[in-house]
Amino acid sequence: MKKILIILLVVLVAGCAKKYTKSTEEVTDSPRGSWEVVKEEGEAPDTAYAKEEGISERELSIAEMAKSVLTDVLFDYDKYDIRPESRPALDAAASFMNENMNLNIVIEGHCDDRGTNEYNLALGEKRAKSTKNYLVSLGVAASRIKKKTYGEEKPTCTMNSESCWQSNRRAHFVVVGKRN
Amino acid sequence: MKSRVRNKARHLFLFFLVFVMGSCIWPPSSVEAKIYIDVSSPGIRQLPVSIISKGHVDAKKIEWVIKGDLETTGMFEFVDPDVPGAEIIAILEVDMSDGLKVLLSIRDLIENKEVLKKRFDASKAIIRTMAHSISNDIYKVATGKKGIFRTKISYMVKAAKNRKELRLMDWDGYRSRKLVSRGLTTTSNWSGDGRFLLYSSERNRNWNIYQLNRENGRESILFKSKGLNLIGGSSRDGLISFSSSKDGSSEIYTINIYGKKLKKLTKSFGIDVSPVFSPEGDKIAFVSDRGGTPQIYTIDSDGRHPKRITYEGSYNTQPSWSPESDWIAYAGRKNGKMQIFMVKSDGLGLRQLTESSNNESPSFSPDGLFIAFDSDRDGNRGIYIMKVSGEGQRRITPKHLKAIAPSWSPYLKK
Repeated sequence: MKKILIILLVVLVAGCAKKYTKSTEEVTDSPRGSWEVVKEEGEAPDTAYAKEEGISERELSIAEMAKSVLTDVLFDYDKYDIRPESRPALDAAASFMNENMNLNIVIEGHCDDRGTNEYNLALGEKRAKSTKNYLVSLGVAASRIKKKTYGEEKPTCTMNSESCWQSNRRAHFVVVGKRN
Repeated sequence: MKSRVRNKARHLFLFFLVFVMGSCIWPPSSVEAKIYIDVSSPGIRQLPVSIISKGHVDAKKIEWVIKGDLETTGMFEFVDPDVPGAEIIAILEVDMSDGLKVLLSIRDLIENKEVLKKRFDASKAIIRTMAHSISNDIYKVATGKKGIFRTKISYMVKAAKNRKELRLMDWDGYRSRKLVSRGLTTTSNWSGDGRFLLYSSERNRNWNIYQLNRENGRESILFKSKGLNLIGGSSRDGLISFSSSKDGSSEIYTINIYGKKLKKLTKSFGIDVSPVFSPEGDKIAFVSDRGGTPQIYTIDSDGRHPKRITYEGSYNTQPSWSPESDWIAYAGRKNGKMQIFMVKSDGLGLRQLTESSNNESPSFSPDGLFIAFDSDRDGNRGIYIMKVSGEGQRRITPKHLKAIAPSWSPYLKK
């Protein structure tokens, strides 16, 4: 027991004793290497997105037709509820989906660049969600609709004007092939 | 007979040890460290200091970096060494014949004695790192506090074609390098011990939370699910907060650094995002629009007692909690533009720190004395730093770079 005490005391004193001597510090740098996590990935435009999903040629032309029916849904500033004036276009979209059962879609929610990034990502998601909910309420199967958000990250225009901001506050449709 | 002598010797030895140990715990006053600047008192006077560097021609470079570091604090006034007036002098003897060796001596010119003598050894010429280490030591002697000069700031750069890269730079903007360029990465945060960088990245149509091990450069997934997953702040004891809409609506969660012990803290129909821990880890500040507009709330780390703390303005987001106090900085919209504000966690003491253009994404330094943020005041968005008083606002990223969303590291071991 005494031996342990003595050893403890010696260690403590040795620790204290350092304060009185000259000190040395070895300086090293943080691990620097040219490591970069992963290589860059190109961005896929809509039709390439569709091709990736393995859509046939015939379906691809329907996808192009879909673009004229599935137009962007626009939203008020800081809001994610569907405007009354958006309903006719969304009704037409739902009919189109119900007539073309082999089509699946992704709804992307977007925001204008005022406001802050994380909140805008969540707001974009809410916009995608309200749009999806509306279509589901008109009979489109929920499994055919995926949601995505891009917040303010992918604007269609970058001017400081209300018309540009309005066109960015949108839910955007992307057609994909039938894949479950 | 012998054993009695041995006993006495042992007793004397023990007594001696206790005596020396005692004088370590209650040191005589001449060994007590004198503080030259009290960082917590307002209207801090500037400490007049001189720096002399000699030896290698690169000694001047080290001196300039040190001066740049100390000048940013606003606490030091540099006096020409040939002129009287300095209270403290730091002398650097630089030897680069074999690696980089610096002998630092700090003298108190009033009491005419040496207060620190230290040798720095580096295997190669890492001048800026060496200089920052020396700045930390000078700062410690002057204020009694740890310096931030070896800390780093992670941030995002808008690369071409709607991509965002995660990058890392020294606290003063130097030595920036790319860490992650895949996918769309937004928001980064540091683990409490500084060993990991955590970030949310959108890849292959999924938003997941990744962690990057700074020691080996390996990336792994911390959390993934359907929906939107956005990283928040970490606590000192290894908890990580984040928001996830995996259950339909964006809510606040915590998880540990191993990706285990998931806990859900909020349950509302609206949007709950951007959580950050208090310094003690007992509370979380976050953004919620449960009241109709996005505002800052606090909540206990077990999910109880949500409390709104911002009442001015209709859009308050991006909270950052000071690691050393009760102050929470955030970005709030005023007159159509975003500005940096600070408020105490009880909702009192509201202060506005920026005035013009758009200023967002505040992030406190680990000593709680500085805030990094991004601003578009010079055209392109760039990273700026300022003191918590709002003074000394200056840009640290180059003007041609679109840099946003800074996240200041904790004190780093390397």
